[in-house]
Amino acid sequence: MEFSLAKKKVGFKTLGCRLNQFETDALASKFVGMGYDVVEDSKDTDVFVVNTCTVTNQSDQKSRYAVNNALNKGHSGMLIITGCMANHHKEKLEEKYPNAYVVDNENKSAIPELVQAHFNKEIVPVNQNSGGVFNYSPAAETFHTRSMIKIQDGCDNFCTFCIIPKVRGRATSRPVDEILENIKEVVSFGYKEVVITGVNISRYKHNGIGFSDLLKKILEIPLDFRVRISSIEPDSFDDQFFALLKHPKVTPHLHLCLQSASESILLQMRRMYTYRSYKEIVNKLRAINPLFNVTTDIIVGFPGESEEDLQKSADAIRELNFGHVHTFKYSKREDTRAARMTNILPEKEKTERSEVIRDVALESKIAFRKRFIGLEQEVLIDTINGNASKGYGQSYVPISILQKLQKNQLYKVRIIDIEKQGNDPLLIGEIVV
Amino acid sequence: MSNKVPAANKIKTDLHEILDVRFITDSTFVLRFERKGIEFEAGQHICVGPPNGIHTREYSIYSAEKDDFIEILVKEVENGLVSPSLKKLQKGGFVVVEEPVGYFTINKELPTDQEYVFIASGTGVSPFHSFVLSKENLNYSLLHGVKYGSEGYDSEIYDSKRYKLCTSQEGTGDYYGRVTEYLKEKPFGKSAQYFLCGNCNMIHDVYDILEDQGVSTDNIHAEVYF
Repeated sequence: MEFSLAKKKVGFKTLGCRLNQFETDALASKFVGMGYDVVEDSKDTDVFVVNTCTVTNQSDQKSRYAVNNALNKGHSGMLIITGCMANHHKEKLEEKYPNAYVVDNENKSAIPELVQAHFNKEIVPVNQNSGGVFNYSPAAETFHTRSMIKIQDGCDNFCTFCIIPKVRGRATSRPVDEILENIKEVVSFGYKEVVITGVNISRYKHNGIGFSDLLKKILEIPLDFRVRISSIEPDSFDDQFFALLKHPKVTPHLHLCLQSASESILLQMRRMYTYRSYKEIVNKLRAINPLFNVTTDIIVGFPGESEEDLQKSADAIRELNFGHVHTFKYSKREDTRAARMTNILPEKEKTERSEVIRDVALESKIAFRKRFIGLEQEVLIDTINGNASKGYGQSYVPISILQKLQKNQLYKVRIIDIEKQGNDPLLIGEIVV
Repeated sequence: MSNKVPAANKIKTDLHEILDVRFITDSTFVLRFERKGIEFEAGQHICVGPPNGIHTREYSIYSAEKDDFIEILVKEVENGLVSPSLKKLQKGGFVVVEEPVGYFTINKELPTDQEYVFIASGTGVSPFHSFVLSKENLNYSLLHGVKYGSEGYDSEIYDSKRYKLCTSQEGTGDYYGRVTEYLKEKPFGKSAQYFLCGNCNMIHDVYDILEDQGVSTDNIHAEVYF
């Protein structure tokens, strides 16, 4: 059946990880292809989609806020709640929002068809397995300058604090040919940078092809683009991977999740590496490029975390000179092993510990960024604000240029200074003629 | 873009009939249940729980890859939510089983004569029991740390030259002391692959000892029991 009600408006609110961003981008692009206007809020929309996250209590709160905020502002159209909170708290959400469609991750890709059926007054089950975790078309129209490429979903690591295996399911990998085709298409749409995305991408495995083999095939695509590897677990790198990081298409940046630098806490978290092995990886990366940007996640206040454990994480931030640290307060997630652990830290203590880590992380970020002063970066412009432009260099450092440039274009920029204030001081650059 | 990918990847759960319950000590028993086509690699774990409850717990698979049943080694945890219920189950009853997961497995690309050192505390011996039963001609040494000699669960299946029962509370094993003390006295060398399974403290201490002995972290693999 053809979709007949053109120029309706669909709004999106996306919480959480890059995978959610990829999925929103793909859905938004599909809606554009179906004749919709697509926006990033609920105002005057016929359909509002909240793509939720449930990784922490705060993520749940933010997700609920996005739904409530839309309703409080008078959204009366179709409301769709999807993403990991929809998997984790499906019944509660259906009870609280009886008029909403609560769509699980496995059926997220079928949301456009669900909307089409809704407006055609057809009755279809919300979660009828008509979607599939990889059934997203390459996105031509997205909310981002970089094109995210989903290669994998789910996770089998079962870290003790993490609810993701329960809400994203078992690890599963997308076929190689589909990934390569996806990249070729988005590059043909004009994207200059692709971001390899998934829940646990280093565990990619499809028909005997592992992550390094896949990366090699991606780099062999004879088109002009650069590759960013997004969040990755430091537990299954091989020599080929480090060799490929020297390839000119690969940007020198990894978001390498550490979580804690205390060996004892890492064991309690059931992480698949030690701080020792993590440090070895960072040393290898910095041997490839001394300015290799390593960003990370740190969880503070895990059950049983001592002052000494916390200090180890703070020391690690200085020692490894992280370019950025996402600091999370530990959140108890039911159905995880850590939820059964005792020795829970009070919320106030977790907040204070977050501040300790955030302060050290800011020092590290500024120190890292200052090392770029006097050097050149290839900057992909993502924001134009009056006569100023902003973008990220290949090392994923944010750079501001006092010149009106063109969005989604690469410019060679010399870094001349850094902003003096703020929690995310931009580097200041000028175009190299 | 194809429409043929309804790859819902939810964790699969099923009811499995109990084939046998075999007690090794008063509190520790082997629960055998039907396999129902479950595929696994030795070293992986499954979540198992009573059929009428909402809770499951993680157990390393104790049986061999080739067996037509699945076994787990269970130690009753006082005031636990799952193990006391499992202890009450009998042959003919059912357990809830989630499909196997985990990467605590032997790398098939390593040479066949690769030396392995397995270090376990308590029921952490489970994955090593499965390794030894599943892999022929495995070049292994197994250090099993327990309190008392009676906790050498099914120790007769191991080659006696390769198995050391380390008892910390009485001299009824092969070595009177902890596995950590044995390891300090008798290092195995840098080229072995070390697999550690058991409680956090043991694993933490063994990591430190192995680091002092110059073993690369690439050669150490751990599975923590809680």
